[in-house]
Amino acid sequence: MSDAPDPLLLDHEADGIRELDNQLPRWWVWLFNLTILFALCYLGFYHVWAKGDLMLAEYQREMEIGDAIKAKALAQFEADLATLVPLEDEPALAQGGQIFAQMCAPCHRGDGGGLVGPNLTDDYWIHGAAFKDNLRTIYHGVPDKGMVSWKNLLKPREVLAVGSYIYTLRGTQPPKPKPPENQAPANVPNIYE
Amino acid sequence: MNVETFKYDNRIVRAFALATAFWALVGTSLGLVVAAQLFWPDLNLKLPFTTFGRVRPLHTNAVIFAFVGNGMFAGIYYSLQRLCKARMFSDALSWFNFWGWNAIIVGAAVTLPLGLTTSKEYAELEWPIDLAIAAVWVAFTVNLMGTILRRREKHMYVAIWFYIATAVTVALLHIVNSLAVPAGWFKSYSIYAGVQDALVQWWYGHNAVAFFLTTPYLGLMYYFLPKASDRPVFSYRLSIIHFWGLIFIYIWAGPHHLLYTALPDWAQSLGTVFSVMLVAPSWGGMLNGLLTLRGAWDKVRQDPTLKFMVVAVTAYGMATLEGPTLALKSVNALSHYTDWTIAHVHTGALGWNGFLTFGMLYWLLPRFYRTTLWSVKLANWHFWVGLLGMMFYVVPMYVSGVTQGLMWRQFTNDGFLQYGNFLDTVIRLIPMYQLRALGGALYVVGIGLMIVNLYRTAKSGQFLPDQEAQAPARTLPAKPAPRHPWTHRWLEGVPVTFTVLTTVAVLIGGLVEILPLYLIKSNVPTIAQVKPYTPLELLGRDLYIREGCVGCHSQMVRPFRSETERYGEYSKVGEFVYDHPFLWGSKRSGPDLHRVGGEVPRRLALQPPRESSIDLAPVHHARVPVARLEAPGHLCAAGTDSRVAPRGGAVPRGF
Repeated sequence: MSDAPDPLLLDHEADGIRELDNQLPRWWVWLFNLTILFALCYLGFYHVWAKGDLMLAEYQREMEIGDAIKAKALAQFEADLATLVPLEDEPALAQGGQIFAQMCAPCHRGDGGGLVGPNLTDDYWIHGAAFKDNLRTIYHGVPDKGMVSWKNLLKPREVLAVGSYIYTLRGTQPPKPKPPENQAPANVPNIYE
Repeated sequence: MNVETFKYDNRIVRAFALATAFWALVGTSLGLVVAAQLFWPDLNLKLPFTTFGRVRPLHTNAVIFAFVGNGMFAGIYYSLQRLCKARMFSDALSWFNFWGWNAIIVGAAVTLPLGLTTSKEYAELEWPIDLAIAAVWVAFTVNLMGTILRRREKHMYVAIWFYIATAVTVALLHIVNSLAVPAGWFKSYSIYAGVQDALVQWWYGHNAVAFFLTTPYLGLMYYFLPKASDRPVFSYRLSIIHFWGLIFIYIWAGPHHLLYTALPDWAQSLGTVFSVMLVAPSWGGMLNGLLTLRGAWDKVRQDPTLKFMVVAVTAYGMATLEGPTLALKSVNALSHYTDWTIAHVHTGALGWNGFLTFGMLYWLLPRFYRTTLWSVKLANWHFWVGLLGMMFYVVPMYVSGVTQGLMWRQFTNDGFLQYGNFLDTVIRLIPMYQLRALGGALYVVGIGLMIVNLYRTAKSGQFLPDQEAQAPARTLPAKPAPRHPWTHRWLEGVPVTFTVLTTVAVLIGGLVEILPLYLIKSNVPTIAQVKPYTPLELLGRDLYIREGCVGCHSQMVRPFRSETERYGEYSKVGEFVYDHPFLWGSKRSGPDLHRVGGEVPRRLALQPPRESSIDLAPVHHARVPVARLEAPGHLCAAGTDSRVAPRGGAVPRGF
């Protein structure tokens, strides 16, 4: 310690520890006051005058915006659905295969041979054989027959990817396929012809 | 003047100091194990006792209550005697405190791996141990107050104010939060349910940080920092304002752990604003620490004790600015449930508590053994290795937390979740988890160096069990002064009044927040379809609690589009009225589970999941080796289907 005693040094002493009596740093006092002011404004804004959106109002606003974006994208996809053609590029088919393994295989079997759900490799198509029919079935589902609607779970381009992958399964002839179901029209034109 | 001679009890301080060093090593090593399990699941050894869900609470308890707890007692027992110029009130109580506290920790180390837990964070221990904690804490408080009442100094130094606040408030928090109905020797159900349990728990949890990890350590800082630097404390008046500001405001800030949950908005807002108002009182402590070192920075360069303390105080300042930042709702929306919180608490634990404790131990041990530190060089190595470890811990966890938070909420241009599969967001974090474990390992190595150094120091000296001291007896005036000035200086001379005022200051916030949740019905709107749990569901909850699922999974869907798209309808306060205890969780290493379960068919793993819980079931049961999930093998082995367990609130079908 310096030779001249600090004029701010208090006459306290505790086990040899001395204390100075420095002024509170100005910026620190301002910081404290500002945070108190913030608190008052915050509570006033949200609760006294109720000007701000609380969490559920925030949520509704967020949902309206998000739903509009999603609805627009889905409408676009539905409009385009009839004209879509199967993708053939590698990454898209790989993605489709992955989705198929995860989402579809439990009912249609990993090789598409059919399990609870129908065989996807033969020429019998319950809901239409054209690619757009496949897409429509995936997208809207067939609740009466246990086919889930995937439109809220898969993004449009995922529906397209998995549809394209399923398209590649046609005619693969896996072992012990599920036989065609009664309802399936037998006289569908073979698309490979 | 009647000068009295007496002896300071160094034995008890040494016992606590040794326990501190021991538990430092154990607690951080356990942390390293669970950190490594996140990228190396085999480390759970395929045993139920060593799974992440059971060891993580052991790690947090070991660090908070064993390491920091013993460190706190060591520092208090040393400084209190000297600040009061008196031996501890009762040697018997001192040793009861020491053996009782450490027996409790051993009890924790046995029961938590066995899955005996309440699941309430940092209050996991079951009711017999809770009773023991209460008994030991009362013994500590009596010993503390007795010593203060028998002091030979007229005034209580600022460190003692903080000790008093600690003793009173921790007792209050522990008792209120642990109230439960026993159901056997090591099983109990919280008397609170749902949102009330959540609020009481985080009133406790937040203030355990405040009054177990902060106030006692501020007291230690006020003693050991000026001692080690031989400098006067920067500002007495700052210490007064920041003490009262801190203890009054801290208690209100608990709800910031529950932002955007089903907690009513008004309580959330109180949590936010009081957290923001906490910045200045917290920084008051940091300023008083750092500015005390004015003119002593040359010493800081040479003295390992001061080095550690400077980093500790700086870490305290950073953590106490970050805390209020995280309490802003917009920040919290991103950070909550992520590793950002983990980074935040480790700035506090590794930096503030850890480094202050290390600094204190390096200062204490040579004095006990009347020698010098065995190797200053080794202590410097500890400092740098520890600091590097801290950086490698904290920085990857920030990166991980922000990555997680951003990935969870990322939408594609057409309005779908970009990362609809939760697993994608987990796999991305694995490199960060590896770096974090490296940081943790460095920190543990540092503690190893410290233990060697302290051991050699002890070997090289001779222990002084009872240190003789002299002080004039404190004579009470024959009759009270007719009039005393109402100053703080006066208050420092009347410990009972001081303690009463402290108690009032810490009671207000808790009462204002907790009571309305009970008394005002509109805070918890009921839902007619919500019915009490069936026995099977209760069994499931018990398993969920036993396995520590709550350590990685939340059951609280926040009202964000990114959450309702992923998990389903957001959680309502009325859904939890039968939840004893609440299981909302605080971290999502796995997805939220509130909307999972219920009428899920047995072939859950193979069925396309319903509604928007698309990513949950497959990850859980079909791809365990890929996921970070510990294989729930022991559940199946025990003849119990784990798949009945994760049913959260009593969600009505088709809700």
